[in-house]
Amino acid sequence: MHSTPKTEPWRPARWLAGSIAALAAALLLGWAITHFPKAPIGPRYIGAGHSSPQSGGTLIFSAGSNIHTLDPHFAYDTLSTAACRLIYDGLLDYDYDGNMIPSLAAELPTVSDAGRAFRFKLRNGIKFHNGREITAHDISWSLHRLLSETTGSPGYPFYKSILGAPSYHRGEAERIEGIRVIDDKTIEFQLDEADQTFLNALAMPFAYPLAKEHVEKLESAEGLDAVGRHPLGAGPFAFSRWERGVQVELHRFEEYWAPRARADRMVFLENISPDVASARFRNGDLDVIHRPSKVNRLFMRESKAWAPYRAEVPSPSVYAIGLNCELPPFDNVHVRRAVAFAIDRSKLERLNPGEVLAASQVLPPMLAPYDPELPTRQRFDLERAKEEMRLAGFPDGLSEPITLWVRGEGDVRGAQLFQQDLKEIGIEIDLKMVSFATYLKETGKPRVAQAAFTGWHQDFPDPSNFMDILFHSRSIHPVNSENRSFYRNPTLDAILDSARAEVDREKRLALYAEANAILADDAPWAFLSYAVDMFAWQPYVKGFRPHPVWLNEYRNVWLDLPRKRVSQVIYHEGAAP
Amino acid sequence: MMRFIVQRALWGVLVVMSVVTLVFFLIFVAGDPAVTILGPQARAEQIADFKAKKGLDRPVPEQFMSYLGVMPCIRKDSPKYLGPDGDRGFCGLLQGDLGESYSHHESVANVIGYRLPRTLLLASLAVLFELVIGLTAGIIAALRRNRWSDTAIMFATFIGISLPTYVTGPIALLLFAFLLGWFPYGGYGVDPLDHIYHALLPALILAIAGAATYARVMRGELIETLRHDHVRTAKAKGMPMRQVVLKHAIRNALLPIATLIGLSLPFLVGGAIITEKIFAWPGLGLLTIESIESLDAPVIMAVVLMFGIAVQIGNLLADIAVAALDPRIRLD
Repeated sequence: MHSTPKTEPWRPARWLAGSIAALAAALLLGWAITHFPKAPIGPRYIGAGHSSPQSGGTLIFSAGSNIHTLDPHFAYDTLSTAACRLIYDGLLDYDYDGNMIPSLAAELPTVSDAGRAFRFKLRNGIKFHNGREITAHDISWSLHRLLSETTGSPGYPFYKSILGAPSYHRGEAERIEGIRVIDDKTIEFQLDEADQTFLNALAMPFAYPLAKEHVEKLESAEGLDAVGRHPLGAGPFAFSRWERGVQVELHRFEEYWAPRARADRMVFLENISPDVASARFRNGDLDVIHRPSKVNRLFMRESKAWAPYRAEVPSPSVYAIGLNCELPPFDNVHVRRAVAFAIDRSKLERLNPGEVLAASQVLPPMLAPYDPELPTRQRFDLERAKEEMRLAGFPDGLSEPITLWVRGEGDVRGAQLFQQDLKEIGIEIDLKMVSFATYLKETGKPRVAQAAFTGWHQDFPDPSNFMDILFHSRSIHPVNSENRSFYRNPTLDAILDSARAEVDREKRLALYAEANAILADDAPWAFLSYAVDMFAWQPYVKGFRPHPVWLNEYRNVWLDLPRKRVSQVIYHEGAAP
Repeated sequence: MMRFIVQRALWGVLVVMSVVTLVFFLIFVAGDPAVTILGPQARAEQIADFKAKKGLDRPVPEQFMSYLGVMPCIRKDSPKYLGPDGDRGFCGLLQGDLGESYSHHESVANVIGYRLPRTLLLASLAVLFELVIGLTAGIIAALRRNRWSDTAIMFATFIGISLPTYVTGPIALLLFAFLLGWFPYGGYGVDPLDHIYHALLPALILAIAGAATYARVMRGELIETLRHDHVRTAKAKGMPMRQVVLKHAIRNALLPIATLIGLSLPFLVGGAIITEKIFAWPGLGLLTIESIESLDAPVIMAVVLMFGIAVQIGNLLADIAVAALDPRIRLD
């Protein structure tokens, strides 16, 4: 074998051809870049056009973090609750206006004994997913499981008012005296004092019945948390499988008592960040989105094409600066009012357009008796703030800075917004950043935190859930106080106690309106903002509406399939299909 | 041949064991799993409780021996903690027990059982793309040596090798999913056909570098083989060029490719970490990241074990394949 290095002969034609090819490629690239497809500006898919509800398909939705459990007796975070609402069902529920409606119960209960006894009749044909008919014994058994100390459910405090519940919880009684099974279809609850909020407690997922045979078999084999992994309920969807941290899959329960059209399957994706969820939603890979990322949220708000398929609603929560009424200077109501009037809440609205609303009182806007024109409402009024400082005896401001406890970066940004406002009335702020665990522990003790960023998200839609828990003197304890501003007002306590017992709805609301006015005026909290949630859904997702109580309400959703792909061109005229 | 396989298997076990040992002790350097899993809100007694339940309060050497299965079980939540006679049972690797995940609240075997098929689907699609694209391009380039198509292919492979998946992945997602809407924006899908549809884009991205490598190797080998005497003889006998290439040249040129495929198997599983993360593909790669972030020690150990075994099996298969393709090579 031989090989002599050869030099390539000079071939001008080849070089010319090569140059032309390179030029053509560059031109093509340039054309491609200028004609690059734009981000989708409207939905990629629309429905098939069925006018009546259809069954079938798979509904896919996602959340940014983990579902913790599928056992309703332990579900106390929004995601676990949302998943439990699909798998389980309870005696009572809420409609889209926040009114209480019967669900497993045939009708709303009959009330007797001056608002201390509630008798429920169960609906016919209600079944667990294993096919067994639900009886009053199941309701009773499930509540006994919920309230026993060995279960250790976080839901116990909501049911303390049932006669004999505390002694059963402590293990001193075999049964809860106040839960009486009259017959297979009738159950009665006896409370030890009149409490109208009790029905709300019964509508919480904590009170959803579980099938005894399923729970006992699982718990003896795999332990107390096994039910949370293999749920069996009576809701519209039955459990298929759950891959922790990835997704929960459910399938339609054919024997559900309300046989509406529904998707065949539900897939609840976990740990999808808002950015990814937004891109997937706009790409048509997700059917419903809640809280898109900031950029996408701004886009969705502006988009005409998405307008019919999105909604912004205030969430039932409030964000505030809590002022410790036991520690100077906030033991002086005038200083508290001064803070409440000094804060320009519109800064928050400008910083997070569309995401927050300025707060003026403890109740969020969807919860009666919220009053936008409340005479004592908190608002920005620098003159009033200065006047209150004079009344407090600090016309030149405070001599020492106050310590404001913050839980993280979000709080710090909020605090920085208001630092300047408070300086205007002579109040300097020192920020004290602590971990959430330390925050919870320390702000729950009297005379520790002077002021702290704080907030509340409702457990059930009733003013008592805000006012009783946050401001009643009964919520002050040596440790773990829920009343973290240590506000004590006998007048307020009396109003709240009589409201709790009042059976007449109008009278109750009038009492809470009175309490609401007192709280805004006495300013144990300087209310900052209400969060606003955004939801969007694909055009082929029908029957979705934001719910005033449940964050993700998919029970009534159906899919208009097969979905049709539409070109983005149609949106350039600004029209929505 | 048998002797070679046994020898290699023993060698493999030794290597895997060393890696497992190293990683086991590294996790203890990395931090306290109990604190990471239970979060900053955990109280001291909860942490102590967790450690006692998982046996993390024992001396590290005992934990290791128990993990291997040569000392009795120290995980109080294991069904094997109490043996049949009331004495302590064993719950380690020797008993085929990978333990229970700290963060998934499920046996590690189950967690891997969910993830492994997905990674295999992604990896096998990627290998398929690598072979189809890479070999085709390599053969075309070899047969059209020094012509413009060869130059273009070699230029493309050069770019393909240079581009990392963390660049191509996000670009592909943006372009082909978000802007053009041809593919889903990451994720895994909800039924079998849907899974494949979701796997196409990440598999293509994963295959780019491999396809480029295969194309270059194939081109070089084929050019070399075409010069061999037996090919020249076949040509001289008047055999059509097409048959010469297919029957005589390609078979010989495939030898190094077989080695490369074998060697690349573990890298497809391991290299998929970045791709799986970008495409949110819930396979072993994503599991690796998640478990390291949460210091989920049993899962980290299992994943390391699996990668180690994959490397060993890949190497072994490559050697066997070469021997099968090349009658001159005898393994012993």
